[in-house]
Amino acid sequence: MLVNLDPRDARPLYLQIIDEVRRALVVGTLRPEDPLPSVRELASELVVNPRTVSQAYQELEREGVVYVRRGQGTFVAPGAHRGGDERRALARGVAKRALLDARRNGLGVEELVAMIRETAADEEGEPSTVSAANQGDEE
Amino acid sequence: MSRSTHADPAAGALAVATRGLTKRYGRETALDGVDLRVPKGAVYVLVGANGAGKSTLFKVLMNLERANDGTAEVFGMDTAARGPEVRAQVGYVPEHQHHRYGWMTSGRLLRHVAAYYPAWDAAYADHLGRALGLRLDRRVGAGSKGESRRLQLVMALAHRPPLLLLDEPTDGLDPVVRRRTLALLAEHLADTPTTVLMSTHQIYEMESLADHVGVLNEGRLAAQMPRDELQRTVRRYRVAVPDGWEAPPDLHVAGMRRSRGGRELQCTLVGEERDVTARLALAGAEVSEVTPLGLEDAALAFLPEEVSA
Amino acid sequence: MMQTALHPPPHLRDALLEQVRVVGLGLRRPAQAAAVLAGLATLLVAIIDLGQGDVIDFHPEDWMLPGMVGLLLPIAVWTGEDRFGPGFLWTLPVDRRRHALARVVAGWAWLMGTVALFVLWLLVVSLVSGERILAEEALRVVPNWPFPGALDPATLRVVRRAPEPLFWLVPFTAATGTYLLASAVAVGVRHPLRWIVGTALVVGFLAAVVDIADASRLIRPLLDAVDSFLVGPYGLDTLLTARTETLKVDATLTTGETVIVWRGLPSVGQWAAATLLWTCAGLALVWAAASRHRERRRA
Repeated sequence: MLVNLDPRDARPLYLQIIDEVRRALVVGTLRPEDPLPSVRELASELVVNPRTVSQAYQELEREGVVYVRRGQGTFVAPGAHRGGDERRALARGVAKRALLDARRNGLGVEELVAMIRETAADEEGEPSTVSAANQGDEE
Repeated sequence: MSRSTHADPAAGALAVATRGLTKRYGRETALDGVDLRVPKGAVYVLVGANGAGKSTLFKVLMNLERANDGTAEVFGMDTAARGPEVRAQVGYVPEHQHHRYGWMTSGRLLRHVAAYYPAWDAAYADHLGRALGLRLDRRVGAGSKGESRRLQLVMALAHRPPLLLLDEPTDGLDPVVRRRTLALLAEHLADTPTTVLMSTHQIYEMESLADHVGVLNEGRLAAQMPRDELQRTVRRYRVAVPDGWEAPPDLHVAGMRRSRGGRELQCTLVGEERDVTARLALAGAEVSEVTPLGLEDAALAFLPEEVSA
Repeated sequence: MMQTALHPPPHLRDALLEQVRVVGLGLRRPAQAAAVLAGLATLLVAIIDLGQGDVIDFHPEDWMLPGMVGLLLPIAVWTGEDRFGPGFLWTLPVDRRRHALARVVAGWAWLMGTVALFVLWLLVVSLVSGERILAEEALRVVPNWPFPGALDPATLRVVRRAPEPLFWLVPFTAATGTYLLASAVAVGVRHPLRWIVGTALVVGFLAAVVDIADASRLIRPLLDAVDSFLVGPYGLDTLLTARTETLKVDATLTTGETVIVWRGLPSVGQWAAATLLWTCAGLALVWAAASRHRERRRA
């Protein structure tokens, strides 16, 4: 599992870590019974206070997303899967950030929703959206 | 003499507590009534300009300097009365190296320090030395400033002290080593129940490790709070204001910039967002954007304009 | 809630042992230089004295060298230590006064070892040259002091006596005495060099003034006191050489021969008393000096 933290993100670090775990679940990089990196490993890799990582793991455990196997570490719970609550929670996060961004730029909710649909439709028309993006913005 | 070290049980959850700590050097006041509170297990970052008193604070805690007024306690022990016992709990990295053992090899100096700390973990010292790229058979004096810094870090961490006092720990280290050092510190925190009090100029570096922040300004503690609280209560507001608008006096303004027309302001304000927005509205200003600040900018909000500009 | 077991400070014994090791390491260079000098000295002695068949007597108390070494050693022991600032020594978890004393003791241990080697060297050289260590010696004593011009051999009294083995301790006590005094300065004075040079300059200046003004009469009591301090019965020389340095003089006989004569004979009792006096003074001064670094004061 690769975790990236955005230093400019407003959210507390532990929430960012939680969201990264959720994202990995939804996207499929993390599957049930997969081990999570140890608190020590993740803290060292991200250069983050281990208590922050512990806090994130404890919250995830409380929500039933992960569980702790004594002496072996933290693992993804068998019940946690791509669908359902994880997707919703993730989507809510994305929506919140988009709305904040919209508000910052003086856009209304309906305006934003309409533009999202339009942009998505445009991108579907493109043969390979990834390479198009890499070549630079043509819009 | 009793061999066990007892802390004052009434000390509670504070690793370091100072009350009205004052230190003067002649006519200069280095510390002015400082009430530092470092909870046990916290990673407390002390921020301030050069000469703000950070190094003096460390020296008082190590009883290398005696305060003119006030008290300082580490784990409930008075630092002036029980200096040796306090120092036995501390891993100290000073701002400048003060030993003259340049002729000793790094390995020998580590063994020297090890003799003074019964809790020294030789295997861990080895691990730290290797992780930081120390050459143990090299004479200390022959090494660069960065190498002596790394040696000091190993000396401070290897006995797994309950308290780490780090004065500019990454000073003099190149960026690669800095990151490795901080990662090592994160690992150390995961393995050892430790409280960290450190001062730094590179605040952004410590952002993810810190959970408490203190801002020292000309010897006074301008702000002291958990990091989450700091980031929650110090934000940048973009407000639309009528002509000639002045900020209401009950608002804690840390910095303000006016646009050319004078009708848009960007100001850094201290307080809960909801509260601040309400007050601004009452004063006739409309908030168009609220940006949270990184740790460095938030902390700098408590320093005078000339410094934070 | 976090449970942190507090770490105990080290035993003073461990700190002392480590100081002995570290001070020893720090003295390696001077020790190497001394070894070279000792080698040269041995060579010279072998070639000159033994070559001529001279018998070298074994009188360790005659030598000023141990006293000199004791006086200079604190420089090597304390060089570079930041004694009055946030020195590394003071960041360690040992009470500062005790730590300073531990370092003084560490230096003293090496000093005693060095003096022992010196005495041993003297002994070996002496034995090799054919000296019989405890054999009786003939000492020429002059009846009055000072004496004018050449001496009539008939006025000399010859005393036969065996060397006093207790005097073999003199190098050790002499070195200890000077070491304590110099250590007190090294530990207790912020700028020892300034004080030493300053004192020497002041003394030199005063001596010149007295000389020019021919005012020696005025300060006769002071001169007498200094004299007593240096070469009196309980003076510095008694500490350093059991007063043999002062009591032994070269004299020319009316026969033209130059011999060693004695103004008086060294007394063990006097030496012991003087040593006790100087050592106690030294200990007191070292304690006071170390106390400047004690920890429980308010600024």
